[in-house]
Amino acid sequence: MVSQILIYGYGLVCLSMLVYNLVYSLYLRADTLRLERRVRSIDRRVAVQLDALRAGREVSRRHLDAMARRLRRVRNLLAFDRYLDTQAAREPAFQAYLRRLQPVLLYLATVYRRREVTRSAYFCHFLARHQLQRHMQMDQIQQVLLTYLDRDNLYCRVNALKALCAFGSADTVVQALERLEKGGAQLHEKVVTETLLSYTGDRAALMDRVWKRLERFSAAMQRALLDYIRFCSGAYQREMLDILRDEGRDKELRLTAIRYVGRYPYGPAREPLLGLVEDGNPLRWEFAAIAASALAGYGGEAVTAALAEAMHSPNWYVRYNAAASLEARGLAYEDLLAIAGGDRYAQEMLTYRLESRRLTAEREAVAV
Amino acid sequence: MREAILWFLTAVECFFILYMVGYASFLFLSVTVGTSDLYAARRRNLLRNELSNDYYVPVSVIVPAHNEGVTIEATIQSLLALDYKLYEIIVVDDGSTDDTVQVLREAFRMQPISRPIQRRIPCRPEVAIYETRAWKVPITLVAKENGGKADALNMGVNVSNYPYFLCLDADSVLQQDSLEKIVRPVLEDERVVAVGGTVRPCNGATIEQGRVVRYRMPGKLLAAMQVLEYDRSFLASRILFDRFNGNIIISGAFGLFRKSAVVDVGGYDPTTMGEDMELVVKLHVFCRENGRPYRIRYVPDAVCWTQVPERLRDLCRQRRRWHIGLFQSMSKYRSILANPKYGAISMVSYFYFLIYELFSPYIEMLGLFATAVAFAVQLINVPFMIAFFAIYVVYTALLSLTAFLARVHTVDLRVSFGDLCKAVGLCVVEVSCLRFVLAWVRMTALIGYRKKKHTWGRIERQKIAFK
Repeated sequence: MVSQILIYGYGLVCLSMLVYNLVYSLYLRADTLRLERRVRSIDRRVAVQLDALRAGREVSRRHLDAMARRLRRVRNLLAFDRYLDTQAAREPAFQAYLRRLQPVLLYLATVYRRREVTRSAYFCHFLARHQLQRHMQMDQIQQVLLTYLDRDNLYCRVNALKALCAFGSADTVVQALERLEKGGAQLHEKVVTETLLSYTGDRAALMDRVWKRLERFSAAMQRALLDYIRFCSGAYQREMLDILRDEGRDKELRLTAIRYVGRYPYGPAREPLLGLVEDGNPLRWEFAAIAASALAGYGGEAVTAALAEAMHSPNWYVRYNAAASLEARGLAYEDLLAIAGGDRYAQEMLTYRLESRRLTAEREAVAV
Repeated sequence: MREAILWFLTAVECFFILYMVGYASFLFLSVTVGTSDLYAARRRNLLRNELSNDYYVPVSVIVPAHNEGVTIEATIQSLLALDYKLYEIIVVDDGSTDDTVQVLREAFRMQPISRPIQRRIPCRPEVAIYETRAWKVPITLVAKENGGKADALNMGVNVSNYPYFLCLDADSVLQQDSLEKIVRPVLEDERVVAVGGTVRPCNGATIEQGRVVRYRMPGKLLAAMQVLEYDRSFLASRILFDRFNGNIIISGAFGLFRKSAVVDVGGYDPTTMGEDMELVVKLHVFCRENGRPYRIRYVPDAVCWTQVPERLRDLCRQRRRWHIGLFQSMSKYRSILANPKYGAISMVSYFYFLIYELFSPYIEMLGLFATAVAFAVQLINVPFMIAFFAIYVVYTALLSLTAFLARVHTVDLRVSFGDLCKAVGLCVVEVSCLRFVLAWVRMTALIGYRKKKHTWGRIERQKIAFK
């Protein structure tokens, strides 16, 4: 009897799941249609207001109240998102309409802050995507968005940071980063760097703020911030050289500094880089390898000699990067073979680099 | 004598009640969790709770190949159609006797190059290396001496330039967004050392520029039944196991790994047939033994389309290999069983694979034997037996259908009414017939398996419909 109850019980639940699937499928289809209806409805409502603006009148208070009320629902926000995609953003009346919408968005920011976290994340995505902020006095909404960073959800945090990068001030973005650190959020370095690269404001100001407060951040965040600076500006060579020289610093941070002076060659960095390449300590091979790569942009006999010597390193990566740097110096095939001498490993590596150069040249020739 | 038989049958009955209740509960739990997870993921995607494609982790895509001249070009074309930006393609030809190397060289204008290889993991030597830079991303072809799939993958790891690598079977194609999706867990959590994606049969699907433009159930019934089987198995255990970091298998057809972690554990084991499972279990063991924080994730919406065997003989060969691989991995890491150090991996994942995968063919055959004995001594209630079997078939078929529909809905595929009817009919046939055939194959798989240790499974390939 017990086994029968079990069997039929399980069977019933399975059947329910199947029915649920079918019903959900129908619901999804209906939902798509509903969303399209909502988009059309918003289109009609906004069109009236756009006509009013074109005729020199104002957007009605009633409309703004209705939008505030409707957009509290995430489905309507989704529809508004789709609607905005269909609009010619540069049209003056539409720009004016978006400016009138500022108080509604500020109100919605306070509403979605308390919503279930996926909805909060979506609201941030919405703000970042449409950059409605360009038309707004953003101080207040920036402060509200900072509180989104406290939510315990990766997407909410990343989307809020993206939104702030889309319209926030440099100070607010740095505050956001500090808030993330304080809250124990561990964002991947790549996510932080790439999100900062989307910053639409004054990058020089942001880098300046970041640099001033660099020491407040963890090593992982510092690496992400240095990478951001590396991709944006060559104005921090001296500061990077200081980090490169500081043996007490985090290893990865120093490696980032080496990459920086490789990307933006800096005379005073030559000697420290040579020192790292010539350092035969196998435990410090990463420094030697990255420095060998960084030296590609530095001229002089001493550099060529150091790279030639690095070709005989027992470490594969040091040889690989030294060969790439030597090849980048445009040395003739015979000169490179002379550098390799009788070292088979060095010869192999240099030959590979030369053949790679040939393949790349052929590709470029085809592209031309 | 009769009493002994009675005692035997009673013992078998008790065992089977426990076995079936355990299996039914597991299936029910995993399909429920899996389905709800898929719908939740769909909702998250709708609300853009995802890391968008602005973030690129460099990935080396390794394609081990052995006599894949028929499919290899489509596979590489699908890789070139990926939305991703930062990756390289490495094809490792493991001593093919067909025209695999020639097809690749001609199709992608590859040229011989003297490339030094850093051998961090032992593998058989290369015969020739070819490269091309004429495409969106660099493509490298390493032709090496035959050493088996694991050996070819190890060569790929040695040749790779990037910190993560993705292994992909040469008879598979990726959806255009699959690489982006399988990389996301790495961006979300830096402890992630491996990520598995979903493998779906591509027989019947038309894929254009990495997008599925037409999806039909395969015309061949055997392939169509495998569609249901794949959906059920991927939905049944992997999402549930992912909840507690308990996945001990990532399909060799499609998996992403952190290279440094794989090098630390010594790479793929060329002495086993189930190199994919062996590597994942080894990563679990290594990280736990060394106190390294780690995560092994499964991403249901990162999809790889693979060709499944359309002939029974090929299917049997494939399943025999899988079962031997399972046996080798389970026996090699038997210390996991009932070891509290491994937590849920020991108590749930390993136990599940041991009882319901490795031993299941023997248990099922024991059941059939007991039924025959009971029938012989007239101790069986035939109507009840038939009713019980019918319930089992309907129950498992319902779960298969649920998994199939959940998969279809959540990845925006459309199936015709005809295909739906086909699925309904075939899920019954799959459960009541194919399953027993494969149980027999798996039961006999271990006989003489040591002779076939390093061989590639040979399955007749069809051209993949990739445009």
